[in-house]
Amino acid sequence: MSTAKATYGWALLSLMALVLAPAMVQVPYFLHLGILALIWVIVAQGQNLVQGFTGYVSIAAAGFMGVGAYASTLLTSKLGWSVWTSMACAPLVAGLLAVVVGYPSLRVKGHYFAIVTMAYNLVIFIVLINFSSLTGGESGITGIPKPENFSVLGLIVNFETRTAYYYLTLIFAVLATTVCGLVLHSRVGRVLLAIRQNEPLVDAAGVFAWRYKMFAFVLSAALCGVAGALYAHFIGFLNPEPFGVDQSLNAILAVILGGSGTLAGPAVGAFLVVALPEVLRVAETYRLIVYGLLLVLTTIFMPRGIIPLLTHAWVWLTSLFKRR
Amino acid sequence: MIEFLQQVFNGLAIGAVYTLIAIGLTIVFGILGIAHFAHGVVAMSGGYVTFFLIEKLGVPFFVAMMLAMLVGAILGLLVERFAYRPVQNAAHINAFIIALGLTMMIDGLNLLAFGPDQMVIRTPFQSVFNLAGLVVTELRVYVMVTTAVLIVAMSFFVSRTKTGRAIRAVAQNRSAAILMGVNVNAVALVVFGLSSALGVAGGALVGAMLALAPGLGESLVIKGFAVLILGGLGSVPGAIVGGLILGVSEALAAGYLSSAYKDVIAFLVMIVVLLFRPEGLLGKK
Repeated sequence: MSTAKATYGWALLSLMALVLAPAMVQVPYFLHLGILALIWVIVAQGQNLVQGFTGYVSIAAAGFMGVGAYASTLLTSKLGWSVWTSMACAPLVAGLLAVVVGYPSLRVKGHYFAIVTMAYNLVIFIVLINFSSLTGGESGITGIPKPENFSVLGLIVNFETRTAYYYLTLIFAVLATTVCGLVLHSRVGRVLLAIRQNEPLVDAAGVFAWRYKMFAFVLSAALCGVAGALYAHFIGFLNPEPFGVDQSLNAILAVILGGSGTLAGPAVGAFLVVALPEVLRVAETYRLIVYGLLLVLTTIFMPRGIIPLLTHAWVWLTSLFKRR
Repeated sequence: MIEFLQQVFNGLAIGAVYTLIAIGLTIVFGILGIAHFAHGVVAMSGGYVTFFLIEKLGVPFFVAMMLAMLVGAILGLLVERFAYRPVQNAAHINAFIIALGLTMMIDGLNLLAFGPDQMVIRTPFQSVFNLAGLVVTELRVYVMVTTAVLIVAMSFFVSRTKTGRAIRAVAQNRSAAILMGVNVNAVALVVFGLSSALGVAGGALVGAMLALAPGLGESLVIKGFAVLILGGLGSVPGAIVGGLILGVSEALAAGYLSSAYKDVIAFLVMIVVLLFRPEGLLGKK
């Protein structure tokens, strides 16, 4: 049971590091990246639900992110709703769309599913670009407000500051991870894992696999919707560009790099995919090539990602000490 | 009426390209079970090679296309050997993720080698005929004829040669083919070579008809997969019928509804087919 204890230990440790980070980090840009990484943690956790747990690779994460982002922005700007209410609606809109489009696509498996979801992402992107009377087209929407201030115990939290927004995204990222953890350890999670292992068997056992797949797909879309809303109100400017298929591939990369089917994997992967382009910025022209190569090599040589690798290393290390 | 026929004609020309791309995808999928997503960028690389040969070395169009097909075939072999073969026994989805990685990589290499600008492949086929109001461009006729010739050549190869028989054997029953002494790895290489050569032909033709640009590879391969879903995965007749249907429905959508949303309509057709006939129009249950 020491591995379980170690897992909690590590989780607590990294959470503490994340909580303390704003106090330590002096460069505002790093905090900016931290916020983006935390937003990507939410996306990656959603992606992992479908890709890692259920074994269906969906290529629509960025599309649903876009739906959430535009939903929240438009509710704020066109209907004059408060940012908090709009942000709360983002996952609902994304989830609702996922219910509608999930029905036809979850009838198909494997590659078909991947391709159909990619088609959704393309459609979302095309609509965002061309429906310019609503979305502002390629030039986008500017001046998206930050969430309204509120006071806790007489302390006014101002979301114009990066630090406040950082903690906001941190809370959401932790919530997303917790929700995914709860799902994983519930009956639903077991069914999802069973679907990944052997879907015909799940059906044969009298379990309606498609309901569970639908649940995973919708929850995943909702998480992406939240992430999109957080992104929109953080950046303050919205155009369709960050919601294309290549960003969905980024979500897949995050899950694969970190370790698909684990809880920590997507979190670590999200930080990696945000950090990597920064590290590779020196070689901007080679970024795509390096990215692609990384994806290929990871899939060939460590298909289970970094986290299982680290776990093995940790177990090995502790066993070394025990022997002494 | 004449406008309708015009759209159908234009649709058939672009549909022919989709068919070429889709046949390459469908033989790889039918025989090796790989969703070869990198097919589109391989096709585009071939288009760029064709462009390069014509512009820089003055090679005639069809010779340039053949040479590019050869280059594409070699690229296909490399992709099979070094990217897909290491994961042939892992879950199929791993191969798909590798394909996504390859797409990014080859796209990046193309960008590096040929730059981000649009390029149109110049061809000598610039005449325009007018058949009772129907505008027929010579280039589009050549595109359709080339496609037909390539399809016939491929069918001949697969149905009449010994290698072709080995390919069909692996498609029918991989284990039995191994037991009969078929070298499955060699078959995989041949299939990838063949598929990539056809894809490159598609890339060159699309470069002549429309233009080459970064990102076109992805859009081509997605259309190719849409065709596969329409026609049935692994079915060559399905790829032909599906390609033409997709091309024509796109052209009609662009002509009568909205050119900005033509891709949306193409995908809607695909999703409707999935809903009512998940195995595709010509696929087996």
